[in-house]
Amino acid sequence: MKSINLKDNQFIQFHQKISFKFDGVKYFGYKGDTIASALLRNNINLVGRSFKYHRPRGIYTCGIEEPNALVQIISEYSEPNTRATIKKIYEGMEIESQNRWPSLENDFGSINNLFSPIFTAGFYYKTFMGPHKKFWKNLYEPLIRRAAGLGKPPKDFKGISNHIHHNVDITIIGGGINGLLAAKSFINSNYDVLLIDFEEQLGGIINNSNKISSIDNKEPKDWLKETIQEIEDSKNIKILKNTLVTTYNYINHLIAIEDRFVGSKPIEGKVNSTLHKIRTGHTILCNGHIERFLSFQNNDLPGIMLSSSFEKYMCRYGLAPSKEPVIFSNNSNSNSLVYSLIKAGLKPKAYIDSRSGEEIEPNLFDLIRKNDVPLYTNSQIKGAFGNKKIEKILVEDSSGALNEIKCDCLCLSGGINPDVHLFTQSKGLLDWDEKDLTYKPSKPFQPTITLGSASGQFNFDNLNSDINEKLKTFKVKKLDVKLELNTNAKYNIEKLWEVSPQKKSLWAKSFIDLQNDVTTKDIRQAITEGFDRIEHLKRYTTNSMGTDQGKISSINALGIVSDLLDKKVNEVGTTIYRPPYAPLSFSAIAGRNCYEFYDPERKSPIHNWHLKNGAIFEDVGQWKRPWYFQINKDESMHDAVQRESKNVRENAGILDGSTLGKIEIKGEDALEFMNLIYTNSFTKMKQGSARYALMLGEDGMVKDDGIICKISDQHFIATTTTGGAATVLGCMEEYAQTEWPNLKVFMNSITEQYATFNISGPKTREIMKKAFPNINFSNEEFPFMTFQFHEFNGVPIRILRASFTGELGYEIYIPSNSAPKIWDNIQSVGKEFGLAPYGTEAMHLLRAEKGYIIVGQDTDGSITPIDLGLSWMIGKSKKDFLGKRSLTRSDTIREDRKQLVGIIPSNKTDKLEEGQHIILDKEIKSPVPMLGHITSCYYSPTLGHDFALAVIKNGHSMIGTKAYASTSSMGTTGVDIVKPVFYDEGNKRLVS
Amino acid sequence: MLIINCPYCGPRDQSEFSNGGEAHVKRPDGSKEIGDREWGEYVFIRANPKGLFYERWVHTHGCRKWFNCVRDTSTDEILVTYKLDEKKPNLNNFKSVVKTPSGEPEVGSGNFTVEK
Repeated sequence: MKSINLKDNQFIQFHQKISFKFDGVKYFGYKGDTIASALLRNNINLVGRSFKYHRPRGIYTCGIEEPNALVQIISEYSEPNTRATIKKIYEGMEIESQNRWPSLENDFGSINNLFSPIFTAGFYYKTFMGPHKKFWKNLYEPLIRRAAGLGKPPKDFKGISNHIHHNVDITIIGGGINGLLAAKSFINSNYDVLLIDFEEQLGGIINNSNKISSIDNKEPKDWLKETIQEIEDSKNIKILKNTLVTTYNYINHLIAIEDRFVGSKPIEGKVNSTLHKIRTGHTILCNGHIERFLSFQNNDLPGIMLSSSFEKYMCRYGLAPSKEPVIFSNNSNSNSLVYSLIKAGLKPKAYIDSRSGEEIEPNLFDLIRKNDVPLYTNSQIKGAFGNKKIEKILVEDSSGALNEIKCDCLCLSGGINPDVHLFTQSKGLLDWDEKDLTYKPSKPFQPTITLGSASGQFNFDNLNSDINEKLKTFKVKKLDVKLELNTNAKYNIEKLWEVSPQKKSLWAKSFIDLQNDVTTKDIRQAITEGFDRIEHLKRYTTNSMGTDQGKISSINALGIVSDLLDKKVNEVGTTIYRPPYAPLSFSAIAGRNCYEFYDPERKSPIHNWHLKNGAIFEDVGQWKRPWYFQINKDESMHDAVQRESKNVRENAGILDGSTLGKIEIKGEDALEFMNLIYTNSFTKMKQGSARYALMLGEDGMVKDDGIICKISDQHFIATTTTGGAATVLGCMEEYAQTEWPNLKVFMNSITEQYATFNISGPKTREIMKKAFPNINFSNEEFPFMTFQFHEFNGVPIRILRASFTGELGYEIYIPSNSAPKIWDNIQSVGKEFGLAPYGTEAMHLLRAEKGYIIVGQDTDGSITPIDLGLSWMIGKSKKDFLGKRSLTRSDTIREDRKQLVGIIPSNKTDKLEEGQHIILDKEIKSPVPMLGHITSCYYSPTLGHDFALAVIKNGHSMIGTKAYASTSSMGTTGVDIVKPVFYDEGNKRLVS
Repeated sequence: MLIINCPYCGPRDQSEFSNGGEAHVKRPDGSKEIGDREWGEYVFIRANPKGLFYERWVHTHGCRKWFNCVRDTSTDEILVTYKLDEKKPNLNNFKSVVKTPSGEPEVGSGNFTVEK
């Protein structure tokens, strides 16, 4: 196909040449060209290979609906599947064709076309079932799946995007003639209006076709310029260009993506797309219509294109892709292409219409006659033929005779559809129009207004009255626009979905979905195999499941199916239109919420000290906690944890516990509230004492634990687990508001206000005495599970004597700002006693030796306090607390519940692992009855062997017996089931 | 995304709120004997109607107050929000609203975009 430039064009700057590379070869286009128009200008028609059969494909359309011309933009992070028909070229752009090897001209994969009779609908479903598992790995995955596809995924992350929120009264989608007229009505009104258009220039069909000859007795272009100026001058209207609305959510919430670098290379580090999130009172859809194609043999050959697209290339891009295209139509929409061609001094090679002579518009007849264009009425194209491009077509004329016409370009028009995608996303209902043969918007579900062809008004005769009527509620001034047309025809269409091929052959293909290589034969086969519901048929054949969502073909498929099933199209229904309207990149959705901004990082006030002292961090919720400290770079995690644990048992260790959740509870009824929230009873507890407490869900399962300090009956401070802090506060607030609103109680998180240091080990008392000389730390003055308020160097501190390691321990609570100073002081005075920091891993090891549980590790939401052997913590005399009644449910009093036990290997040198199953037999003979699993497992430097905590069925009664721990890879290990305490069972070290 | 009218703060974006399930579920009085069935229903059983539903929400990233609402589960429309201590509205007051987006049947998911 040989193209010619039409230099009388306002959009293409013919004086500004731009060079770009396609598959490594340098070409020239002009400023304003899309990749597609530039390629057509260089007479390149073959631009890609198809998804399944690797058939040669060309440029089919001139817009967002493009199914074929998808390319990889090498110069932009190798962005794949870019529509060549909308992406503008810029100097130095590098483009590659997709799904071909070794080259586009000679593609090895095109051999698939030979085997195509077996690659029919449901091929994957049927083939990938068997015959053997190995086929998947060795044949299907590497060979067959690799052969199918589109572009290659990019290696790098695409550039940055940002998000902008809008809150407006009215959003007009589409800046064509209806959109502009709607916007014009709102000029200088009290409404905030957003006008969104996908193109760089507003105007729609005024720019894309020669349909309109004058508006208000002016040249359309002049009228357009004036109108845009008026709208731009209006203070209440904002225009977003290069912006595509992709999503229409509930409550008029729209999502639109704006390309910030149209026609230029995105600058690294700059925002290259903006995601607009729009909340609007009313949405006015003026997003126009999309032309559909027709199915006949080889309707996918390069050189075949939609007729309105051909016209758009002429009007919008100053380019006639061919000097003498053949036109094949079943409707009046292609009239204006004939007009445009003749106006440009060109002539269609032939005009073929499936309608009879009487139905064809008289003025089209005149035009065709006057210019001696061969006319075939009542005729159909039986097929197109050629090698990698269209060379000839076969036309069956009204007499049934076959005519061969040589041509290099064929323009198709199968009718037009309102672009109902957004309307149906908004949950509006469609209705089939039997006259215009298309689905049209009928009942909106939201405050949605449709105007122009988007509403199914394909003629212009009601333009004024339609807009005036639909915008009546806004009480804006009425329009009275005079519109003259070049082809004053009423939209007229004859039903035609598919022309059957001349010769029956297994290899004859009439495509219904170009992008996914679905043929009309596949549709027939699917129906034969029972997939006659349209949603099933779509998934089975993959029809309209490509990135183009079958924009030019899905209605044709409905037509064919309705004929096959002998049903009305309305009864067949449509598949659901889901967002997005067109693909948008993940980086646009992510916006700035990526990398370090993905989730907040929370750091303790001592974080910088940890950094300087070799801390390796672990993530606990959003917190960064020291996992262990390396004394040198070669120290392994195991060595560090063993060293830290041993040091706590022999000398003393210090842990940064600032991340523990801290909640302050105050109020007249605080005591009663705490009694209701936790299992324990706090009534008899002395002021200044502390208690380990459990919180349950209403189902009786352990949800959180912590230490409760009672300052008075009206004032408590509770600690929570690091990860559970927000949930516990949320739960307290919920019950305070919803169940016990009569209680006078308030609660607040003080997690970040206080740093917490946990010091423990036999030498702790000496260190504390030295660090806080004004405080008496004797066992009599400061017994276990009590706390005291003090002042140290003017800083108010609270010290709690408690321990999570089993050693003598103190927790110091310090206002965060003063914490680093006191931490440093403790480090320096502790040096002579061998004080060393320890991380969360050593803490886990030490607490496990004592059998202290970690909620979420040793429990999983199905464990009650009784299962943990913590019945002593339940305030049985209390009338009520969260989950109390559930502790006597039939399920919670079951005997064979999983219960917490200790596990040690029978042979002390054997290793255990977290997650291992506990079973009764040494030999694994499936099915193996599983008793439970190991929840925590460590090597103890104090005991000198592995030990573990586990939850196993009926565990408490199994203590003292033997079992096996197993994993499929390690075999079985003999274990002893013991009490879940491995160290200082009498708590002597804790309390003395 | 929905807009939810917090009775304390006014209309805000859905992302500020958390859903708390069915509203007006009475917690059995702990001071009295509670039967297995009564307690089991309180803990585990919630209504899941298609249509109007009393529901609890909390303004998590706002005033942190709990409140109740009537939501049409088939359309997601929130018809009214009210404070916890306010009387629950009579569902019959809302009969005039569109029941489903696409005139779907009363039961089922209803993938319909075409007028029946």
